[in-house]
Amino acid sequence: MTGQQTFTVLSVEELTKDYPGVRAVDQVSFVIENSTIHCLVGENGAGKSTLVKMLTGALEPTSGSMSVNGKAYAPTSPQEAREGGLATLFQELHVVDELTVLENLTLGMEKSRFGFLIKSDLEDRMIKTLAAIEPSIDPTARVSSLSVAQKQIIEIARAASSGANIIIMDEPTAALSEREVERLFGVIRRLRESNVTVIYISHKLDEIFELGDNVTVLRDGKHIATKPLSEVNGRAELIEMMIGRTVFQNYTPRAGIGDKVVLQAQGVTNKLLKNVSFDIKEGEIVGFYGLVGAGKTEIARALFGADPFEGSVTYKGKPVGTTPKEAIASGIALVPEERRTQGLFTELTIRENVPVMNLPRVSKSGIFKARDVRDASLRYVDQLGIATSSIEKHAEKLSGGNQQKVVFAKCLFSKADLLLLDEPTRGVDVGAKTEIYDIIKELADEGDAIAVFSSELEEVLGICDRVFLMFDGHLQEEITNGPDVDIAHILNVVTGGHEGDVI
Amino acid sequence: MSIVTEPFQILKLHRKMSDEAFITMLVTMVAIGLFLTASFLVPNFFQWQNVVNLVTNNWAVISLGIGVSFLLVSGNFDLSVGGIVALSGVLSVWFAQSTGGTNPLSTGLGFPYPLATICALGGALAIGAMNALFVVRFKIPSIIVTLGTMMVARGIAQIITHGSQRNTNLPSEFGFLGNLTMFGTSIKLPVVLMIVLLLIAVFVERKMVFGRITYWIGANPEAADLSGIDRAWHITKLYLFSAAIAGVVGILLASEYQSGFSNRGLLMEFDALVIALLGGVAITGGFGSVIGMFFGAIILAVVTSAATGLVLSPDWQFILKAVAVFLAIVTQTWALARRNR
Repeated sequence: MTGQQTFTVLSVEELTKDYPGVRAVDQVSFVIENSTIHCLVGENGAGKSTLVKMLTGALEPTSGSMSVNGKAYAPTSPQEAREGGLATLFQELHVVDELTVLENLTLGMEKSRFGFLIKSDLEDRMIKTLAAIEPSIDPTARVSSLSVAQKQIIEIARAASSGANIIIMDEPTAALSEREVERLFGVIRRLRESNVTVIYISHKLDEIFELGDNVTVLRDGKHIATKPLSEVNGRAELIEMMIGRTVFQNYTPRAGIGDKVVLQAQGVTNKLLKNVSFDIKEGEIVGFYGLVGAGKTEIARALFGADPFEGSVTYKGKPVGTTPKEAIASGIALVPEERRTQGLFTELTIRENVPVMNLPRVSKSGIFKARDVRDASLRYVDQLGIATSSIEKHAEKLSGGNQQKVVFAKCLFSKADLLLLDEPTRGVDVGAKTEIYDIIKELADEGDAIAVFSSELEEVLGICDRVFLMFDGHLQEEITNGPDVDIAHILNVVTGGHEGDVI
Repeated sequence: MSIVTEPFQILKLHRKMSDEAFITMLVTMVAIGLFLTASFLVPNFFQWQNVVNLVTNNWAVISLGIGVSFLLVSGNFDLSVGGIVALSGVLSVWFAQSTGGTNPLSTGLGFPYPLATICALGGALAIGAMNALFVVRFKIPSIIVTLGTMMVARGIAQIITHGSQRNTNLPSEFGFLGNLTMFGTSIKLPVVLMIVLLLIAVFVERKMVFGRITYWIGANPEAADLSGIDRAWHITKLYLFSAAIAGVVGILLASEYQSGFSNRGLLMEFDALVIALLGGVAITGGFGSVIGMFFGAIILAVVTSAATGLVLSPDWQFILKAVAVFLAIVTQTWALARRNR
């Protein structure tokens, strides 16, 4: 940045976004300077994604204003944002695998006459842009032969050559290997040299310190600080700014945790997991806490027989099955991460959803006992407090919380005594959240073992007896929940810090 | 968790008609409405015998439609049924033809007729197994797989018949099954079989675990997997059943005409698909009913027979089918959207 003038490329003024009942972004103001790498950090739910959606035109602010390159800026679509000079690198990539690198770069910008493509200097320009930010990619290569990281770089090159001088990157390293991360960082630094400003969002604090010039911290929708990273005193200060409060914790130690170990996992290893070992006791609620991509879902799926793994997992002394069918038969049930696509039959009614995991219980010689099916649905609607006018209502017409309760009903109906709950309260309103926690505790009090896989710290510290901290496929540490858990330490571990880094 | 049995009676059991019942009713009413309209316009259309004919003339396609509908509900196509009809028919003739005929087309393997039919059915099931293998194990889209096996089946039939037909040197009992009339009426065994199959299919679909699993798989394959449903095995069974029905249809048709003809059942796979879609079976899976499919067949039959009896030459039947299909599907989409608004 030497020899260059510093000026503001993007400023946000009193930006606010209200959702019914909740203010996701609360009067946030900050500025971003030109040719910097500006990091945006905050816990889940701090308002980062809402803020980014407003910047990219996907959401309209409730109040407040933005300006880009000195001009007022109020995009109503990503296209308008792009025209204003702001491009986004989304987590899911928008490249066409069947075309070459160059064709992807010029896609949608081809010049034509009478429907025939004509040559222009566009291609030369693209080749130059690509060569400037990543010379190792061959423009004539087919995109399908490239790695995820290289595809990302193509998207970045496309954004850079379309004239955008601000590029937002939302968790760009989530799917990358260590070497690919280094390569991406090189690209980002070269972008900065060519006067592009990068807004970089990541949970991985090491990356932020390695890459960033400035950082903006959000917490509970509010702006906490914007300052140069050189003035931030290590991970500890950053984490402190991110939490800033004591995490609301209403955990009370539970009686009734048995001594009997029901599930024992030894050295579970697969594509993402690395030598994960743990146990779960009868009547116990354990939590797996980590960032997105840390391997929580993978553990749940491995235990449930949905993904293959090496290592051994025994449940009640016997090895767990290799298919969900066997897992269910042995008494394990999974509430999957995505309830709409993995948990529910949204086009079918509540009555048709509830019995699916335990068909022998409602049938005889393959014929349904209609009365039993109906009674089962009615019982769970009542027991779990599913708010519906009828069991004949389609699952898709229920609210998020009630849909999740239907998924719970499915699992409970299977008579499982080990419940794997993957993000059990994601997208569920506060009231239903509390109800779901009560259901979980009640089940555990009756002797069921429960594993909660969550990226919400409040959730795991609110209900779990023991918490396993995950980072990058490793089970880093086991913590016994209690009033004196060190939250800064937990956040340090799950963001990739090593023990003892903090304080 | 403790089981509460008492207070759930407070939930009222108001039963709104399901979307499926609604569409089935709509299709039924359209079929009846079209029949009545045709009765006004076409002389001699409104006769009991005509109603019987609408059903009996279509026994083969309706039978095939059962297997095809179940597969569609599970989210899979079966375009191989027409080919299987040809294959099993030709096989049953070839196996039953006595040895030592005067030319290759009149020389068969000389099996006793019951054994010939069992072996022909085996041939049909082999095609079904092939469908299942490629769809389930190799995860190739079913439309491609069954398009391929359709040609495989018909291709084998064509080789066995040298592109012509086999109709000589058959045992005397060969024509028995296909022409057997039942209950002292002119209704033939294949028609009765179709009705029995329909009733079984409706029962399986409505009342049996097997039927519901088909819907679950079609509605959300991933959730079905995670709910412990053995999707691969279920789809395998569906393909085997569909092929078995097609095999029986082929054997009966061969018996009725006392010949094995490689072009028999040509385009039947598309007719079976068309009546299923007309009957409200969703091409995306998870939705539809066998009764709907049956009335879909009636709609198609009324439209084609009435129009050809009225003004148009039989050459127009494809156009009429096209119009009926478009109208029916647009109407259904519109009606469902309106209902769920």
